[in-house]
Amino acid sequence: MQRPILRVRDLRTYFFQDEGTVKAVDGASFDVHAGRTLGLVGESGCGKSVTARSILRLVERPGRIVGGEIWLRGAEEEQDLVRLDPAGRAMRAIRGGDIGLVFQEPMTSFSPVHTIGDQMVETIRLHQRVGRREARARAIDMLHRVGVPRPERRVDEYAFQLSGGLRQRAMIALALSCGPRILIADEPTTALDVTTQAQILDLLRELQAREGMAILLITHNLGVVAEMCDEVVVMYLGRVVEAGPVDAIFHAPRHPYTRALLRSIPSIQAPPRTRLPTITGSIPHPYTRPAGCPFHPRCLEFMAGRCDREPPRLLPVADGQAASCFLYQPSGVAG
Amino acid sequence: MTGGAGVGTPPGPLLDVRGLRKLYPIHRGFLRRVVGHVRAVDGVSFHVDEGETLSLVGESGCGKTTTARCILRAITPTAGEIRFRTGEGAVVDVATLPKARLRPLRRQMQMIFQDPFSSLNPRRTLLDIVAEPLVANGVGDRRERVERVAELLRLVGLRPEYMRRYPHAFSGGQRQRVGIARALALHPRLVVADEPVSALDVSVQAQILNLMLDLQAELRLTYLFVAHDLSVVKHVSDRVAVMYVGRIVETAPTAALFATPRHPYTEALLSAVPTPDPRLRARRIVLTGEVADPAHPPAGCAFHPRCPYAVDACREEAPALIEVAPGHRVSCHRAGELRLRGVGG
Repeated sequence: MQRPILRVRDLRTYFFQDEGTVKAVDGASFDVHAGRTLGLVGESGCGKSVTARSILRLVERPGRIVGGEIWLRGAEEEQDLVRLDPAGRAMRAIRGGDIGLVFQEPMTSFSPVHTIGDQMVETIRLHQRVGRREARARAIDMLHRVGVPRPERRVDEYAFQLSGGLRQRAMIALALSCGPRILIADEPTTALDVTTQAQILDLLRELQAREGMAILLITHNLGVVAEMCDEVVVMYLGRVVEAGPVDAIFHAPRHPYTRALLRSIPSIQAPPRTRLPTITGSIPHPYTRPAGCPFHPRCLEFMAGRCDREPPRLLPVADGQAASCFLYQPSGVAG
Repeated sequence: MTGGAGVGTPPGPLLDVRGLRKLYPIHRGFLRRVVGHVRAVDGVSFHVDEGETLSLVGESGCGKTTTARCILRAITPTAGEIRFRTGEGAVVDVATLPKARLRPLRRQMQMIFQDPFSSLNPRRTLLDIVAEPLVANGVGDRRERVERVAELLRLVGLRPEYMRRYPHAFSGGQRQRVGIARALALHPRLVVADEPVSALDVSVQAQILNLMLDLQAELRLTYLFVAHDLSVVKHVSDRVAVMYVGRIVETAPTAALFATPRHPYTEALLSAVPTPDPRLRARRIVLTGEVADPAHPPAGCAFHPRCPYAVDACREEAPALIEVAPGHRVSCHRAGELRLRGVGG
């Protein structure tokens, strides 16, 4: 495999609030490769969106990256985004330039008082030395490429005039207008109907095949992960619990959380009216994160005196697959 | 109340909806003239038998929530009948019942809401919240209500000691349990659940779905389940009705609907659901275009502009809902000839 285009190493992003510190991301590491899709999955509070915002340096106060590295490979050298000024010139060039972003709710990503075209032209001209005319032509071309019908007319419309599906296409066009090498898509289809979701997922796949960009797909939907991703990173309460190739994650999961999560999802393939296996309890509040492995109070394979003391490290368990669980770590190795 | 269950011939469905319509006028200009209608629900008929779960499924704007709200008379339908068999054995038409007579009926029909975060008043304790329908209907004195709330909390898997706490202390799943306890306070016969798990985390969804199945068996509840997630629907339903632009396009027992869909929209809907198994990356049927605007539904079959099987007849005439197998009804001109793809299970 080629060298990764983005390497995240031991990322820690904390939120310092009066009530206490929320360790939203607490030691996440993973690689993103060109032309491939990495899925970042987990339930609410797992830190997947904060991870994305950290990469883009969009974490707002009281949040702060307190540790770790985010290495973006450029034409000549790698640079650590954690060391850049979030509001500085270099970071602004990367955000929307090298790294494109698609959010869940396209309505809030577009300005209500500017046309779609104006916003695309502005983005293109922020990153590339082209005139207004040329930028507008590129915007129309991009809208055409993402399947917006009659792009030469749509370009002069406002976001609210478009349906949810078209708005998400326009959002993707905006994110791709500067030819990013990485596209971060944070729940890109969660607000959409299932038939529209299918269209948008197809579009992302087509665009990736054509443009070769890496996709970092953030979602809670394991069906979307299975359909789209090459590699998967599973997060729980700010920590990576398991990572590996998509087939291994779904067919040979190692971490008890991954296993339980997969068993508990309703499947369209299952017989009607069957009880589902459940995970006991609920996700703890971030202020009261359990000591040791954050999953231990809900884990069926909890080992007292071990899982509740130290958090396990993410270590290899199979080819290309890693899990942070003491089940796979002989007791002498810990610490 | 469970004494006669399963014995003799059933006296007919608990809920029988016939030709339900809800149109919203579109006003234009200074004089606010009516220039058209949004046909939110446009001639919907179905029934729900006692003790079963019927799911209404479809994408946003298909009219499933409007249908549910009409049944509870949260909104008054434009036309049609909503025949409900009361606990006393009488059949009443909820659609036309005067407001004064709705109140006693509402005890028998309750609702579970989608969002457990906004549907519970943050300034009231669980006791206040769950007892609210009891107070409103003058059931019991304070001590009896406390006892009933304790019993309800236990029933939904919460500790009775929690009744003095406020909702913010609870997770989404626990709040949804509170919402269910409140809905069950008055021994309803019909429970309408509008997307009850779609705001919950995956690991919690399964707990709530199982709870709903258990409560149904224990209390012989009848559910009208409104949802967009077909995987969830498959786990809870006895029968399913698929809606598209204000109409039912197909209804069938759950197994038949998923394994042998007969309407092209149902086929596309099933095919669009991402399967949590990378080895089953399907050749998906990806529909072109988007859901039709209920203010301007296409002529003929509303699905025809997106239907890969459409023929001339589909553009001209709206198909009727006809029975193609026992309990399996479909409104498609080509239902007799098409062999459509379902999903396993």
